[in-house]
Amino acid sequence: MANAASGMAVDDDCKIRFLQLKAKRTYRFIVFKIEEKLKQAVVEKLGEPNLTYEDFAASLPANECRYCIYDFDFITSENCQKSKIFFIAWSPDTAKIRSKMLYASSKDRFKRELDGIQVELQATDPTEMDIDVIRGRAN
Amino acid sequence: MYGGDEVSAIVIDVGSYSCKAGYAGDDTPKAVFPSVVGSIEQTGETDEAKPDKEADTASDSKNGTKPMDVDKAKTKRKLYVGQELEFRRDHMKVISPMKDGTVTDWDIVDNIWNHAFRQRLLINPEEHPMLIAEPSTNTGQQREKAAELMFEKYKVPALFLAKNAVLTSFASGRATSLVVDSGGGSSVVAAVHDGYSVATSPIGGEFLTDCMMKSLESKGVAIRPRYSFKKKEISPGEYTVVDLDLPNTTESYKLYCMRAIASDIKESVCRVPDTAFDEVAYANVPTTSYELPDGQTIEVGADRFKIPDILFNPSLSQTIPGVDGFADSMSVRGLPRMVIDSVNRCDVDIRKELLSSILLSGGSSSILQLKERLEKEVLEESSGNTRVKVLASGNSVERRFSVWIGGSILASLGSFQQMWFSKAEYEEHGVSYIQRKCP
Repeated sequence: MANAASGMAVDDDCKIRFLQLKAKRTYRFIVFKIEEKLKQAVVEKLGEPNLTYEDFAASLPANECRYCIYDFDFITSENCQKSKIFFIAWSPDTAKIRSKMLYASSKDRFKRELDGIQVELQATDPTEMDIDVIRGRAN
Repeated sequence: MYGGDEVSAIVIDVGSYSCKAGYAGDDTPKAVFPSVVGSIEQTGETDEAKPDKEADTASDSKNGTKPMDVDKAKTKRKLYVGQELEFRRDHMKVISPMKDGTVTDWDIVDNIWNHAFRQRLLINPEEHPMLIAEPSTNTGQQREKAAELMFEKYKVPALFLAKNAVLTSFASGRATSLVVDSGGGSSVVAAVHDGYSVATSPIGGEFLTDCMMKSLESKGVAIRPRYSFKKKEISPGEYTVVDLDLPNTTESYKLYCMRAIASDIKESVCRVPDTAFDEVAYANVPTTSYELPDGQTIEVGADRFKIPDILFNPSLSQTIPGVDGFADSMSVRGLPRMVIDSVNRCDVDIRKELLSSILLSGGSSSILQLKERLEKEVLEESSGNTRVKVLASGNSVERRFSVWIGGSILASLGSFQQMWFSKAEYEEHGVSYIQRKCP
């Protein structure tokens, strides 16, 4: 357990949806939000497999924090079709300090509930989660 | 588990310069007062010469189940905390509980806590869970000491110890970051990512203040402490200054008052130079005037830039007459070097991420241009095309109090209420359980 963890729980639905994304590839991305009143993280949005990275980026609120899972398809230099599961902690600088604290202190626990994350990144503005950044981290 | 969030928790952060205390959920701490205390030695009286405010505490030391060395020391001196320090008293010395960012005198910390709870917040610590922000460098022993004091003396219902650097990092929305905390007594660089790699330097705001004072002295400017003179209005708008003779004032109190003035000069005029300080190039910079409390006006020139540059180049302090050099000047590094060294001690995989989220916090981070200069120097020292980003909250209140604000939010979260180290757990598992509950 990390120091100063918030103790936020994770809704079972988060794990189920993540497993579906991982095993059956039924979603392109999942966006999670924390419901402070319910004291748990829940699924906010599910993205169909045919949606693009742009659609995913557009689905994030500009002034609020979120956790996201994105299934990134790419072709390696050996011409091999691959995919990697990204975990992105979206925490824009313009978000309220309370929201930033809430998401950062709950992240460790949340991440551990989702088994199979391959790449993790934290983004505080759109440039930090640009498609090029994603591509760079995938290799 | 500590049940219920109907009682608001108290968040307290005792720094080397000031103590911040207030209610969880608030935006800023309710009480901010100096972390130093005045002390008058008591001569051969009974051991009940404690400060009056101590007498009515329900948790008098005698009722404490475990004897603590704190109580032994207390009988010999009377301590003045907070505003009581503002009045000059004969033979009163000014002492600090901290040395190099860690607590060395628990008796003083105890008095500071007591002052915060009973004189400032006016609360009964037995009724409120307590979140304490501790330095990242704290040892297990010190954490246990703090926990023991809180449970035994203040009888708090629940406690949590959170690390300074982690709170700052979380409050900016980052779970992985490099926190550069330049406070009053020291500068600490800590990498936050599950574990820590910490580098410290004794150069903080107070050291800069001292340098400012010595530098002014060497130029023949005498700073007169506010208590040592009286201003009289002889005709409208015209004043004369009358010196007062107070032979029993201690040297340390005088120094404390002079520092307060030097610190204000520093805060008013200083800024970090864009490039390394160079005596020749800055010889002709325009001066800025500053009016001392006794009416003298001084002109500050090159020192405006030279003093803050010490953060980057500690050896510069040796050129100021009267400043004690460091015992081992090689081990004192400038901020950019500390940043690079801390990063290099971390796992290769997170180095990039650390460099792209360097967080600046603490009182000294408010010096103008510090952020830009640090970013530039770290970029020069780091290899290759790494992305370096130094972040500091645009709001100076958030910068100064980032640790406290982080603690305030954390302690007010509904879900956090199950995380407290409760009194029941303390009684069942003992004090060492704190290491498990607040790793």
